[in-house]
Amino acid sequence: MVKKIILYFFVIVFGFACKVDPKINAPLPTNNLVEVIPQGWPKPNYTFSVNTISQDKFALGRALFYEKMLSIDNSISCGSCHQQFVAFADADHGVSHGINDLLGTRNTPALFNLNWHNSFMHDGGINNIEVMPLAPITNSVEMGEDLNNVIAKLQASTKYKDLFNKAYGSETVDSQKILRAMAQFMGLIYSYNSKYDLYKRGENNAQFDAAEQRGYSLFLTKCSSCHTEPLFTDFKYRSNGTLINPFINDIGRAHITSEALDRYKFKTPSLRNIALTKPYMHDGSLQTLNQCLDHYTNPITDTINLDPLLKTNGIAMTPTEKQDIIAFLNTLTDYKFLADKRFADPNIK
Amino acid sequence: MKNISKILILALLLGFAFCKKDKKTDPVPTPVPVPTTVDTSYGKLNIEFENVAGTNALQFNTNYVNAKGDTFKVSKFNYFISNIVITKNDNSTFTEIESYHLIEHSNPSTSIVTLINVPKGSYKSISFTLGVDSARNTAGAQNGALSQTSGMYWSWTSGYIMFKLEGTAPKSAASGKALIYHIGGYGGANKAQRNFTFNFASTTANVSAAIKPQIHLQADVLEFFKTPNLIDVSTQNFQMSSNATAKMYANNYADLIRFEHVHN
Repeated sequence: MVKKIILYFFVIVFGFACKVDPKINAPLPTNNLVEVIPQGWPKPNYTFSVNTISQDKFALGRALFYEKMLSIDNSISCGSCHQQFVAFADADHGVSHGINDLLGTRNTPALFNLNWHNSFMHDGGINNIEVMPLAPITNSVEMGEDLNNVIAKLQASTKYKDLFNKAYGSETVDSQKILRAMAQFMGLIYSYNSKYDLYKRGENNAQFDAAEQRGYSLFLTKCSSCHTEPLFTDFKYRSNGTLINPFINDIGRAHITSEALDRYKFKTPSLRNIALTKPYMHDGSLQTLNQCLDHYTNPITDTINLDPLLKTNGIAMTPTEKQDIIAFLNTLTDYKFLADKRFADPNIK
Repeated sequence: MKNISKILILALLLGFAFCKKDKKTDPVPTPVPVPTTVDTSYGKLNIEFENVAGTNALQFNTNYVNAKGDTFKVSKFNYFISNIVITKNDNSTFTEIESYHLIEHSNPSTSIVTLINVPKGSYKSISFTLGVDSARNTAGAQNGALSQTSGMYWSWTSGYIMFKLEGTAPKSAASGKALIYHIGGYGGANKAQRNFTFNFASTTANVSAAIKPQIHLQADVLEFFKTPNLIDVSTQNFQMSSNATAKMYANNYADLIRFEHVHN
């Protein structure tokens, strides 16, 4: 009896003192909201040293990520085009629809492991994850909104007064609070539990089958100089021979640097979760992984500033080798992250 | 029974000890050394940035003639002033902490920058930067003068617009005869910050608890069009990014501001 009382007492004390926001389910190894550096990964570029992590800031950032008030007509949220079930890319859209069904010019990038990036967007124009949301919020074919209007709308909302108060101890909304909370949500979207990761870490007896193993070996010799492990990108800008659409004539990195040598170069995307993020390339012009590999083996067009690694013949791969590489690429899908309820739209119960 | 209550109290303490409370506030930047009580060894100093067009106070939508002889009007004129340092006669310096100021011609209250907690003494010179240093251009979301809400921050290519001058000119070939000069770029060969240093010549700014001197500076929009590059508004009427052309414009505002006088 006495033992039981003590047990109940423990349960009650711990239960109340450590109250966890019930909306945030934590079924995964990142059992709480903490910064993660997976085994064998480099140090991230963005840490939470100033923007200290808290459940409440994360909850605010999550609400904002899925908040349609960020767009001028309250029709579009970040989550409209960054969908969790496809690794926060936009399913089956070459380019995404903004307000009034306006179309952009580039494929929506997937979002995960963003803390390791030192730049954002296909052209790398954004230099800090905290200021990343400014681009889609203000872009006239995306959300078309003004940051001051966003602040006014959020300030007028009872829901957000409460969320800001919880996160920052004051219901006053300002842009720094918005952007840091969003950086917290986006920065804590980690993906490091694919079959490949488990295999590399020797967890759960994860094994590659013969095709995956062959594909991995081929990947290391043919792909990894740009799609470098463990993030599967070298974070550099390269022209990969994607044909230039004359109606758009997207000059890529040169849009930011004005350098002739940067014309038509785009940032190397990570290949994590690549099986889910079709269509592919910066302009969403290729529909399947097969087409992507064919792009590199077909006589590659010598576009302006074509990467030296692709000059002459592209990358030599036989049809069988391509299938093996695709088998390997499929091991990069992280189903845990795709199903992690902490990253899901909080408006959908 | 005594033992049980002891265990319960222990449990209670443990329970709370295990639950680390989340810090809700971000680390505060290095605090300004605020003098305790009334300390007569500190005072204040005003710096006035008076916007002018030649010898006239700058007015929006008023015709001015630039160095090339072309008429133009101004409708917007904003610039950042940062990293202000003042130097005493004995060469010791006072550096303003968190020294970032946005001067907006549409908002006259921004034209006077007040330095606080300035050590008493006679100051002979001032230096500052027009623009925002590289560190703050890459530091993410900011507040105060550097808030991303000011319209002085590019959303598509991160970084501050250091200098913004807009208006019209009859000779401008741009749509609406517009003049739009948004100049920025925080690093590399095309960086757009420009440093200014002014010696007060025969006079000093004498800071004390009783006297708040004012350093009177003038920012002359005509200088922007004059040297080292003579701006031709018929073709040079639009800039909205960081590149070699922005650098050329930045060179032109390197002498935008001049020292007028000090009054004590």
